[in-house]
Amino acid sequence: MSHDHDHGHDFPPTSSVKRWFLTTNHKDVGILYLVTALFFLLLGGALAMLMRAQLWSPGANILSGGAYNQAVSAHGLIMVFWFISPFAFGFANYIVPLQIGADDLAFPRLNALSYWLYLFSGLLFVASFFQGATFNGGWTMYAPLNVPTYMPNVGGTTVVLALIMFVAAVTLGSVNFLTTMYRMRAEGLRMRDLPIFSMSILLTVWMMLFAFAALLAALMILASDHLIGTTYFTSDGGSLLWTHMFWFFGHPEVYIVFFPGLGIMAECFQTFTGRRLVGRKWFVLSMVLVALQSFVVWMHHMFLTGINLQIKTLFMVTTIGISLPFDLMVFSLIYTMIKGRIRFTTPFLFSLGALILFIIGGITGVFLGAVVLDYEFRGTYWVVAHFHYVMVAGATALFAGLYYWYPKITGRMYDEFLGKLHFVTYFVGFNLLYFPMFSAWETPRRVFEYQVGLAFWHKLATVGGFLLGASFLIMFYNMFKSLTAGEEVGDNPWDYATSAEWAVASPPPLENFPGIPSYAGGKLSFRDEPEPTADGGGDPVADTAAGAAADGGPATDGGTTAAAETATGSGVADPGMVATGGEAGVVTATHEADSGHADHASIWPFVVGLAGFLAFLGLSGVDEGGVYYPLTAIGGLLVMFGFVGMARQPFSAPEPAIAERWPFEGVENMKLGMWIFLGSDIVLFGGFIGSYLFLRVANGWHHWEHELIPAAHVTFPGLVNTYLLLTSSFAVVLALVASHRNSKRGVVAALVATWVLGVGFLINKAQEWLHLFHIHSDAFPNGWEIGTNVASSTFYLTTGLHGAHVIVGLIMLLYMIPRAIKGAYLDGDDEMLEYFGLYWHFVDIVWLFLFPLFYIV
Amino acid sequence: MSRLRLYTAIYVVLFVLATVQAWVESAGYLDEAYWWAFAGIMVLSFAKAVVVAGYYQHLRWEPRSVSYLMVGGLFVALALTTAAAYSIL
Repeated sequence: MSHDHDHGHDFPPTSSVKRWFLTTNHKDVGILYLVTALFFLLLGGALAMLMRAQLWSPGANILSGGAYNQAVSAHGLIMVFWFISPFAFGFANYIVPLQIGADDLAFPRLNALSYWLYLFSGLLFVASFFQGATFNGGWTMYAPLNVPTYMPNVGGTTVVLALIMFVAAVTLGSVNFLTTMYRMRAEGLRMRDLPIFSMSILLTVWMMLFAFAALLAALMILASDHLIGTTYFTSDGGSLLWTHMFWFFGHPEVYIVFFPGLGIMAECFQTFTGRRLVGRKWFVLSMVLVALQSFVVWMHHMFLTGINLQIKTLFMVTTIGISLPFDLMVFSLIYTMIKGRIRFTTPFLFSLGALILFIIGGITGVFLGAVVLDYEFRGTYWVVAHFHYVMVAGATALFAGLYYWYPKITGRMYDEFLGKLHFVTYFVGFNLLYFPMFSAWETPRRVFEYQVGLAFWHKLATVGGFLLGASFLIMFYNMFKSLTAGEEVGDNPWDYATSAEWAVASPPPLENFPGIPSYAGGKLSFRDEPEPTADGGGDPVADTAAGAAADGGPATDGGTTAAAETATGSGVADPGMVATGGEAGVVTATHEADSGHADHASIWPFVVGLAGFLAFLGLSGVDEGGVYYPLTAIGGLLVMFGFVGMARQPFSAPEPAIAERWPFEGVENMKLGMWIFLGSDIVLFGGFIGSYLFLRVANGWHHWEHELIPAAHVTFPGLVNTYLLLTSSFAVVLALVASHRNSKRGVVAALVATWVLGVGFLINKAQEWLHLFHIHSDAFPNGWEIGTNVASSTFYLTTGLHGAHVIVGLIMLLYMIPRAIKGAYLDGDDEMLEYFGLYWHFVDIVWLFLFPLFYIV
Repeated sequence: MSRLRLYTAIYVVLFVLATVQAWVESAGYLDEAYWWAFAGIMVLSFAKAVVVAGYYQHLRWEPRSVSYLMVGGLFVALALTTAAAYSIL
């Protein structure tokens, strides 16, 4: 591969194993994601084979009941979390920066950290198989089956922790992609003109940011029920609480899984029909609408629970409503085929297959959106078939992406015959596996036996399952063989492929582009690096018209200029489809250039990922003692060591000199990243506070305060802590003011005051907790401890989570105070103070709600 | 008013509002008219949060899109909480 050298930096070539532990480059990380995701596809697929073998006949004895439950649960979790989305994000990592004209993601080390957290979270899941038994309560992890009473194996806890680690990876990734896509687009590239794959990833990460925060809240509560004895999911309303929290995440997750595939389908349809997407603007608007609607349909997964009829009716309406924008997208894709001239390449076949599967999955899903039909179908193989048609439609499109971008990533073409053979066996195998399930729909889900009369359909399904599995042997053979034997390709092996990744070599060089990409002239061109000027800005001069692809100037696939319309007006597009240039009101910033070279190597993300693995593995068994204690301690210390190492490592990831930054002009990358992270943290705390309010409603609002809370739980300690935290927030503001006045003494004093007030907050809280633990009253003769009742659980866990945020802030201060003493944060260098302030004030704001909710009302 | 004086005035207001929230309880308003007092206390919390975000976090001086981002997060959290609670009423 050609992207081997780091301009003199100590960066090993791709042939070196060391490179893959060090790299932070988005293309390398993308490849790591792809390979790792395919490993988890094999693992999840092997579990599926076991299940299908068991289901060959109604009373087969291949797996025990417990083993079957584990196989079902692990298959679902691994495929949904560790295969499909990470596979999509392999492409997102590799392709999105190229499509938007960026050299890398905004935070390359954070990107590598996301990957290592993902990998080690998956290995943590694998480890759970060796801890007696893994999680066995289904991929939806319904309560109360998900608590230790019903799942006493350590492995069950390990899976919950693995999911927490995975969500951490996802959250970091979301922050990174959003910052990148809003702040690092090539000049002239408007948001609306993002190539359709990048657009799909943008909407996906928005959904991820909020949906996974809700899941994180649910998982942290579940981990707490497992490890410290809270009673959320075994209390009155606890089961329903889990379903709300899980599906609030779970339904957007369907689109999180599907959208990247949808983007790839649209890319492939455009390229292989030679036609710009028909109704592109409406296609994009439909995707936006679905992303928004995805957060208001979750209760259609709960029609069989005890929620009231009014809300069921409302959610039936919203669910039917969300199918409408999808109709528009499907028609857009079909009409693009009709208007274009189709070339039946492997990526197109997989894209077309994905569309067909999605149509079947979508139609069968509308049945489940109707309350009365759902009463009949819920918990049956109708649901199993439906959601596999939807989810695997997304995966099918991802395989289209694998073939589509294989030449770009490897520089060589795959074998077209083997690709088509893979598609045929895959498509026949899949449909043979899942279509019979509609006939055998009365089979109960997640059960290892079924009625004898349904055996024919299940035998067909098992044959289809093994055929589907075998199809991947063809794919892997093709991929491996073509790596060395495939025909070498140039920049662009596909006629009519127009997005920017096709304008550079295959594979692209380390820093992607031969100059600064720009769409200001209407299509992609490269400008010289800016000459520094007196005001620090650049003076870019248009240099090289790209035209790098043989068939015309690469462009975004958006745009509605007269030129573009003309180009596409004849039905089959001219290859030179072009994007529009600048947008009124869009500012091209030129003042944030950093003349330093970008770094691409850091070992610390790997260290932190490994440390997280050890810490969580240790944590999973703390109730068991033994080796788990030192494992937790070593892992915890290594995590801190890793973060300190990362903080101290000089690492340059310069912001682009010229970039389109609407609508976040003037908010530098780091600050925007912090704001986006806080947006996700709002949902995390919202999940905790929402859980508290839900359980309080479920248990009786006033019964809660009269019967479940001791009289000794009074307002005063909370009020004192409010005063302390407000004052500490004010102290941070004073630090910033002192920094602006260049007062070193002022900065140091204000930061020390913040730290002292934060410590005071924790001491006051500790005293309050100790007092409550040891009260002796008639109602609470054994104290009011974490597991005493649901009120104590919500109080200690929610305020404890907040306290953990305070502790993180205090650790940051311990890093900042010595630096301030040495004279940092003066002479306009106040960014770190401001970023810390954003975090600390957020912690303050959260307390402003916890105080009344947990101490007054 | 200089920024420092503004920040100081805000701190005093926040301090007083927190005290008022506690006073609503100690004065017995929760016993007399629980839901009115509850609403008043929560409105005060939202008011304090808006002031801290607007001035201490400088949201007021950032592009409006940053505020929309935070409102988006808040909306998601409120949607989950209110719809879930309503579903069991």
